[in-house]
This record gives sequence, structure tokens and C-alpha cells, in this order.
Amino acid sequence: MLTMPLPPDVMSSDILKRNNVKVFGNGTQPMLFAHGFGCDQNMWRYVTPAFENDYRIVLFDYVGSGHSDLNAYSAERYSTLEGYANDVLDVVRALDLHDVIFVGHSVSSMIGVLAANQEPGRFAKLIMIGPSPRYINDDGYVGGFEKADIDGLFEMMDRNFIGWANFMAPAIMGNGGRPELGQELTESFCSTDPVIARRFAEATFLADNRKDLAAFNIPSLILQCSEDIVAPQAVGEYVKSNLRGSTFRVMKATGHCPHMSHPEETIELMKEYLDGRTVA
Amino acid sequence: MAEPLPEVLDRAPCGFISFTDDGKIEQVNATLLDRVGYGRDELVSHHVETLFGTGSRIFYQTHFFPLVKLRGSAQEIFMLLRTKQGDDVGMLCNAKRSERSGQMITDCVLMEVIERRRYEEALLEARQTADRANEQLEAQALELELQHQQLQEQAAEMEVQSETLQSVNDELVVLNEDLEKQRIAADEANHAKSNFLAVMSHELRTPLNAIGGYVQLLEMGVHGPISDPQRETLGRIDRSQRHLLRLINDVLNLSRIEAGRVDYAVEPVKLRELVDSVQPMCDPQAARKSIVIESAVPERLVAMADREKVQQILLNLMTNAIKFTPTGGSICIEAHAAPDSVSLRVIDNGVGIPAEMIEKVFEPFVQVDASKSRSAEGTGLGLAISRDLARGMGGNLTLESTVGQGSIFELKLPRAETAQQNERTPTA
Repeated sequence: MLTMPLPPDVMSSDILKRNNVKVFGNGTQPMLFAHGFGCDQNMWRYVTPAFENDYRIVLFDYVGSGHSDLNAYSAERYSTLEGYANDVLDVVRALDLHDVIFVGHSVSSMIGVLAANQEPGRFAKLIMIGPSPRYINDDGYVGGFEKADIDGLFEMMDRNFIGWANFMAPAIMGNGGRPELGQELTESFCSTDPVIARRFAEATFLADNRKDLAAFNIPSLILQCSEDIVAPQAVGEYVKSNLRGSTFRVMKATGHCPHMSHPEETIELMKEYLDGRTVA
Repeated sequence: MAEPLPEVLDRAPCGFISFTDDGKIEQVNATLLDRVGYGRDELVSHHVETLFGTGSRIFYQTHFFPLVKLRGSAQEIFMLLRTKQGDDVGMLCNAKRSERSGQMITDCVLMEVIERRRYEEALLEARQTADRANEQLEAQALELELQHQQLQEQAAEMEVQSETLQSVNDELVVLNEDLEKQRIAADEANHAKSNFLAVMSHELRTPLNAIGGYVQLLEMGVHGPISDPQRETLGRIDRSQRHLLRLINDVLNLSRIEAGRVDYAVEPVKLRELVDSVQPMCDPQAARKSIVIESAVPERLVAMADREKVQQILLNLMTNAIKFTPTGGSICIEAHAAPDSVSLRVIDNGVGIPAEMIEKVFEPFVQVDASKSRSAEGTGLGLAISRDLARGMGGNLTLESTVGQGSIFELKLPRAETAQQNERTPTA
């Protein structure tokens, strides 16, 4: 495995800084929120307030996203989702979390599966928002995309990177003369480095985690949006039927980010599940 | 359904579109409709993704929407819009999200980028080329790193070998020091021997000279008349004294030569003159045995040598030749010239010397046949001294011989430059 635990005494503060970890809330059971591709922990701001009183909220940015430490980025480690799963485990170990409710959006659903498969003892429940174990269609499997479609996304990203790169230059050069540009850059997109974002896109959209579903054995909730272009309903149903102990809920919310576009419905379904009101 | 757009916005020279958080299109202006080829009814109330290809849909869901939702606005976002005909149009988008009529609406202004897109494509291509080059460089750097490691390993190996060589060298140095000590000891021993011989010879000569002197006094009748038997006895004492003195002189000479205590007064020596000066000294001895001495030495041959030493050598060679040549035999003296050397050959037709003895005759105290030497008395040191002297002058003394036919002793000496060679044509 890729996991190489650091010594506990030096690990904690480094990891917390590296992954820009934020901890708050009045409860004891930890809820660990993992953002998806293209964004950072800010995307959870519409739902976390609803859980603050009952849980201990843990937010973080993957290395290469948000306000993480870009110096910790390694192209090799983060070329596959395993590397991102190790970020999750590093945070869990650094805070010595147990009985974790893991909430993952989009690609973080599979990252959560990979992390929980490595250390199942620390995780109590997984909540997956728009999961997909494989985005590209395969023999007898509908992922929703052809390889050419994904190439179209990469092209879109590359084209936007040109604009980013223009922003990047003064930031790289220490904001010489125009200090406002650096700030603008970090605020403009959730991912701060275009090359890292592109690699994250490849790790995400070229991954195939269907086999990892079979090993997974922790109660889970699948939140499936209506009309989700990124994770179509057929994919959500595939996850449901291949994941033991999973609960499948189709939302009224459309799109791929219900926790942002429809936070109330998202909160309601999560609470139903966590409070045990959901019938699996 | 939202209110119709004002005419000025509808026809503004840029695209305009507004939609809800759900992506439902509220309004779209005529400029954008014209560009994408849709009628207003085909877009309004439909999802904004209608205008996107698949890549753009993912990008909208993963980047555009979260950004606008979180920040409230977005600037200069590049989006590919798909026309009704299926073409992708590159648009630069500014978006702002605000509340209108009780719901959140995102307004977007879209400007087509054509020229700029071409530059961007070139930039993109350049960057991809640079990325590939960079990857190659990284691979090469890795390769270099590997080579560096290999070199380091080799260097370490060589270091080990070097240490081994060093220890071998140390041993050799120690051995060499031992050898040097042994050599010095041997040299010292040799010097001590030569010194001993020189001193002893000197000490022996003094009483011998006294013996000789007193024999002469007795023979002269200084102490009274002597009888014939007494005279005969005195003659024997005198001969023995002379022999012993000669022997001691030779030993003294040899030890001086070996001790390097001989000085050579090197000068041009004309061989013809030299032979002519030595030959008369041998004539009486030769005449007693009816031996004929012939010499054929050209006038022009000149050696660079010590005249007295050469005389000594030649006299020794001729005396030897007469000694070992039977009565009525002949001896011939020849001279030869080579570019750098000249040589004198003393040729006899005597008994000859066996091949295995040729080198030994030059060793001290060696005579070929002890029985024969009795009649031809000598010390056995003559040839050893002669060869040492010849070598001391940069020459050599060698022997060719055939038993029953005779011997050829050749004295080789450095050749002096002739007068002709010295008289070079002066140059301007």
C-alpha cells in the first residue's frame, strides 16, 4: 500500500497545516467532509451549520486544492486516487478520529471507499454525494462518458489554464508590483494550481474503482441527484447494487452539487439517514 | 417566465444569458441566439447545459457553478458553447449571481474569442511542448542521476583498489628499502675489500722491496764473496721476490680500478704510434721463441683514450700472445675502424681457448691451463685488469678463439674525431 504513517509526535501539526484542516462543532462524533474535484472545503459551508451542534465537524483541503500546502504536492503520490485516500487517512490519524462519519462529494465518495477499505475500524458511516466508480463507459457498464468526452473536459481545463497561467505569473514572482493579483488568484478558483487541477481531473475521470466496492463493508448513504450529467442515475444504481449495506436516495435536486444548489434537501436526507429514520 | 429583455440588451454586441441555480435558463438575448442558432423558445426554461458539449457540462458542474455559487461572480472563464448545428464556439464569460424576483439568478455576459483563441491554442501547444520537453529533461536528469550513482560506486570501488595498491606499494617500498640497504652494505663491503687489498698490498710491498734490496747487496758481495751455489740461491730468492711483487702490484691495480680510484687522462691517441712504441718491448721475448710479430695499423686511426693505459693493455695482450704461442709461431696486430670506435686486434696462432673458458679468462686469478701457466709465468690478473681499464675508458676487451687455431683479442676504444671532421666549412 501507499500508506506510510509518519511518527505521531511530528505528524499532527504538519498534516493539519498541509491539508488546511479546520475542526469545529459541539458534538463528539466526527463528521469528516471531503470536497470533490474542482473545489475546496468551502463548498460545505451551506450544510455544515446544520450539523455543528451534534457533531464534531472536520473540514480539509486535499493537497493541491484550496489553501493546502502546495509544497507538499507530489505528482507521483497524487497521480491516483490512492494518494488522495492517504490524505484522508493522514487527517484521520493526525486527529486520531474514530467512529467517523465520512461525507464525500463526487470523486471523494470513491476516495472515502479507498480510505475506509484501508482502515475500516475508524469509519462508522459513509455519505456519498454523486458517486461514480468509473466515469467512462465499459463493456456492460454505463459510466456516462466516452473517453472523447473526458478529453473534451481536459481541453476545457487546458483552455482555462491559459487564463490562470496569466494570473499565476505575478503570484509565482512574489506578486511584484501587483500584490492584489495573488489574492485574486486564490479566490478565483477552488484549485490554486492549474497543473495540479489537471492531474486531479485525470486521476478522477480515468479511475476505475468498481472492484473496490466489493471490499467495502460499512453502512453508507448514496445521494443521487436528478439529471446529474457527471454522475447519472444509472451509475448511482450501480453503486447501490454493488455496495453492501448501502442506502440509495434520489434527490429532487438537479445537477451535481446538491449540497450547494439544494442544501436544505441535502441536509434533510443526511439527517434522516444519520438519525436512523431512513429505511434502507 | 422573466420579463422580456430591453431592446438595447437584446441587441448588444455580446451574448447575454441568465439562469437559476438549477440551471434553468430565464433569459437569453438575440445576439447569443443568433450565434448558437437556437430560437428563444428552444432555450428559455430549458437547462443551460443545452448549450454545452459534454466536456463543458462537467466543467460547468465541477468548476463554474461552485465558483459562482461560492464567490457570487466569475471573470474571464473560457467556455465552449455548442451551437444547434453541433459546432463548438469559444466564449469568454463573466458571471454575476444575484437575487431577482425572489430567486438567485446568475447573469452571464459572453464574448466570442476567435483571434485570442488562436493565440491561446498556440500558447497551449507551446506549453504542452514545454511540458513534454520538461518530462524528457526530468527523465534525462534521472538518467544522469543514475549514471552519477554508478560513477560514485565505481569511484568507491577504485578507492578500494587504490587502497589495495597503496598497501602493495607500501610493501614494495619496504622491500626496496631493504634492497637499498643490502646494496649499500654490499657496496660498503666491496669498498672495504678494495681498501683492504690496497692497504695490504702496500704493506706487503715494503718488506718485499727490502728483501729485493738485501738480495742485491749480497749478490754485489757487499758482505763478502759468495759461492756459486749461494749465487744460484740468491737468484731464486730474487725471482720469487719479483714474482711476488708483480703479483702484489697487479692486485693493487685491480683493487684501485674496482674502487674507482683510477684517473684516466683521455686524449687523442694515434694507434700506429702506440703500437710502434709497444712492439720493441716485446721483441726480445719474441725473438727468444723465434716468433714473428707483424703489424698493419693505418696511420689515420685515432682513439680517445689514456695513452699509458692503452700501452699497458696492449703490452699485456702481446706478452700473453707470446707466452701462449709455440716457438716459431707468428703474431699479428691489426687495426679496424667503425663510425664511433676503433679497435686493435692481437691475433696469434697459439693453442686457443675453449669456448666455455672465454668469459672466465677475464676473471681474476684465472688461467686456462694451470699446467701450461707454469712454464708461462703470470699472475692471472692481467686480462682482468686490462678489461677493467678498457671499460673504464668507454671501450671493451673481447676474445674470439678456436682451440688449435689461435686467439683474437680485440681492444675496442672510442674513436676521436679526425682532423677532417673538425675542419668544417665556416658558416656565415
